[in-house]
Amino acid sequence: MKRLIARNLLVAATLLAITQQADAHIAAVRLGDFYSGALHPLTDLQDLVLWTALGLLAGTLGASKARWLVLMLPLGLIVGLAYGLKAGVSATAPVTDAAMMVGLGLLLAAGIRLPAIALWVVALSLAVVRGIANAGGVGPQTNVVLFGAGLAAAGYAAITLIMALTVAFCRPAPDASPAWRKIAVRACGSWIAAIGLMMGGFALVS
Amino acid sequence: MQHRSSRFLVLLASLAAADAAVAHEQVGVPGGLASGFLHPLTGLDHLVAMVAVGLWGAQLGAPAIWILPITFPLVMALGGVLGVLGVPVPIPEVVIALSALVLGAAVAARLRLPFAAAAVVVSVFAIFHGHAHGTELPTAANPLAYGIGFVVATGLLHLCGIAIGTLSRSTAGSKLIQGLGAVIAALGGYFLIISLGHAS
Repeated sequence: MKRLIARNLLVAATLLAITQQADAHIAAVRLGDFYSGALHPLTDLQDLVLWTALGLLAGTLGASKARWLVLMLPLGLIVGLAYGLKAGVSATAPVTDAAMMVGLGLLLAAGIRLPAIALWVVALSLAVVRGIANAGGVGPQTNVVLFGAGLAAAGYAAITLIMALTVAFCRPAPDASPAWRKIAVRACGSWIAAIGLMMGGFALVS
Repeated sequence: MQHRSSRFLVLLASLAAADAAVAHEQVGVPGGLASGFLHPLTGLDHLVAMVAVGLWGAQLGAPAIWILPITFPLVMALGGVLGVLGVPVPIPEVVIALSALVLGAAVAARLRLPFAAAAVVVSVFAIFHGHAHGTELPTAANPLAYGIGFVVATGLLHLCGIAIGTLSRSTAGSKLIQGLGAVIAALGGYFLIISLGHAS
């Protein structure tokens, strides 16, 4: 009896030792490249910081100017991705990212009211540059259409969410002054510019 | 035989509880974020000076209370860039300790300098604090994450100071803030003595 128990325990131990992580979702088999495209910018702090900065800036300028970015950012990302793949460029200079962070951060911190066209030019330029940078995530086996769709979907969701939250946050409430809220957003701008400055310095050194 | 069974049980329990091995702890983005965020919090001289900046801003009122959190990170980042580039600043540890002493004393004395003068004092100290953070950035696990972490932590410390500083609207709260300023100044004096000992 004891021998049987010992043998069973050994089998159980062996089974436990060779277990692998369970893959409940088979997305990697069918739509894996879509998820790769969607997740690639979200695992990169440059995209997260720059998209957040752009969303905050657009949100502070109001919904009428900001809403066009819902379309422009995904489009720009796709154009940048296509250009990056065609030209064989898959990375942008860290100084470029740092300069964009400083620029957007200072615009936010100074509370400058950009005209709509200037905002759209800034958004499209940023999207194209980040699209080129994301081309680095495309491998030889990657389905480019699915990857691009994922990237555009992530851009669309992120920018829409950040702009909507900013517009709602800065909207004057009848029971409270919105002044401190605008100051909070401007402080975020100075944080972003500070991060960009540090990154610029680091890029110059390395 | 019973002894052997219990060994198997221990082995089984160990295997069941085992996690994936992580050879490199604190690497990449999480490591950079954590080290950057903790850097201003674990250095008591940085921490008290940043809180004092917020407290003093709250005492000075508008426009200092809102210009401070916007401009301080930028000036500090300029100091950080100097640190990253390896540009030396004179006796950094002494000046950082002095910042806690001066800012704490300003809060304790409820010193009402003209805004421009207060901005200059705070900016000079911000350069030195930024420089100290910046010198550690090139060795960070992820420099961008480190930068984000330390800027956010510094900003949150200012906010803490400003939030505590709003107590100064009441008489008792005002006395409490001044007492806090005296404690910060005393700590600054202590750090100054230590750093002067190291410098000599």
